Amino acid sequence: MLLENKPLRLLTYFSILLVLLAFLMVIFYAPVELNMGMVQKVFYFHVSAGWLGMLAFLVAAISAIMFLSKNNLLYDHIAASSVEIGLLFTAIATFTGMIWARPIWNTWWTWDPRLTTMTIMAFTYIAYILLRRGIDEPYKKARFGAIYAIIGFISVPITFFSARLMRTIHPIVIGGGSGEMAMTPRMYQTMAASLVAFTLLFVVLLWHRTRLAGAQFLMDQLEAEQTAEEFGEVDNG
Amino acid sequence: MKNWFRTLKALVWKDLLQEWRSKDMLTSMLAFAILSLFIFNYAMELDPRQRAELAAGVIWVVIMFSGTLGLNRSFLAEQEQGSFDALVMAVPDVAVIWLAKQISNYLIMLILIVITLPVYSVLYNQNLFVPQFLIELVLGAWGFSAAGTLISSMTVQTRMRDLLLPVLLFPVLMPVNMAVVKAGQGVLSGAGWETYQVWISILLVYGIIMTTISLLVFDYVIRE
Repeated sequence: MLLENKPLRLLTYFSILLVLLAFLMVIFYAPVELNMGMVQKVFYFHVSAGWLGMLAFLVAAISAIMFLSKNNLLYDHIAASSVEIGLLFTAIATFTGMIWARPIWNTWWTWDPRLTTMTIMAFTYIAYILLRRGIDEPYKKARFGAIYAIIGFISVPITFFSARLMRTIHPIVIGGGSGEMAMTPRMYQTMAASLVAFTLLFVVLLWHRTRLAGAQFLMDQLEAEQTAEEFGEVDNG
Repeated sequence: MKNWFRTLKALVWKDLLQEWRSKDMLTSMLAFAILSLFIFNYAMELDPRQRAELAAGVIWVVIMFSGTLGLNRSFLAEQEQGSFDALVMAVPDVAVIWLAKQISNYLIMLILIVITLPVYSVLYNQNLFVPQFLIELVLGAWGFSAAGTLISSMTVQTRMRDLLLPVLLFPVLMPVNMAVVKAGQGVLSGAGWETYQVWISILLVYGIIMTTISLLVFDYVIRE
């Protein structure tokens, strides 16, 4: 039951195909930006990864609320999986951003609201994972994780708002003039393709990871039962 | 409802009395805070011109770190003596346990602020008793301890306990940190109310949101 899942397998192949297609589009179809040159092409994956980082947080927060109201561990598996994948994509967004920023802004890092918020979001994800690792009991782990996911999800937009406010009061010294980038239709198409491909990839990864979490949970339970049997005490609670 | 407030009062009183008798938390927090002020002097070479601008940031960092130190202990007694269950049975509504703890933590934070500020004033010869500055600290401390009380009620039940609290707390505190420091800088540099009132509003909103969420979800923290 756990091993066979045909739609998921098909979807996996399809998403790999789409990501490859998006990759080819970025390389061959999208035009080279006039001012920034080749390095601007990192933009398509950068934006997609950033979008997924946020989407993952949203998914985690919604599953967290669902878990608290339904008390069904499936939602917890989804939330935990979403956070892990979200952390990966947030890291990708940050590093691709740095690759882009270095030649264009002449710095690896600037205290731009988006950069600050993304990084704080990554730290919230890491904290969430650490919190779960500190708890053994599955339901308690799920409850605490859910609560933290909710406060994290609410505080991140306030962080973004505050960081932006700070910047409107104090002008950005470095990278201030980087704002506008005129996009051609080809650029929009490539952008759309890579967004679609990455979002599908996210769905596939989330599905796989959630199944894995379910399997892991089952495995832990079986192991616990076996240990209990060996020591002569049966505890099904 | 009357019962609710009576329980709240009793629980706050219990925490404060406990703290008053041992003074564990407050003495360590104060020692930590004042030592940090000394360290900052050498770390940042606070010369008079920079000092005025940095004061808001230095004070908030000191208060936040020593506050975290105190928060680590806030649920320790309940956890170690296993009195959570008794508490849950005794109260009309579990949210009151959170609110009581929040209020007692907050009062301890206020004591910390009330003692740290004059010490800073004496050490660095800068008057900090500006009403607006106190207002933003008092609001910031509420947001800080609201998020902190909820998170420490969870971390105390984990394996890593005090190791985990700052890691969980600081990312969600980012807005408070920015707002307190920015508002403080505004006040201390003598700018007008309109330049920093938005930060005060952020502190207010943050405090209200965190309080509401905590009251709503605290039930899930202590449910067995």
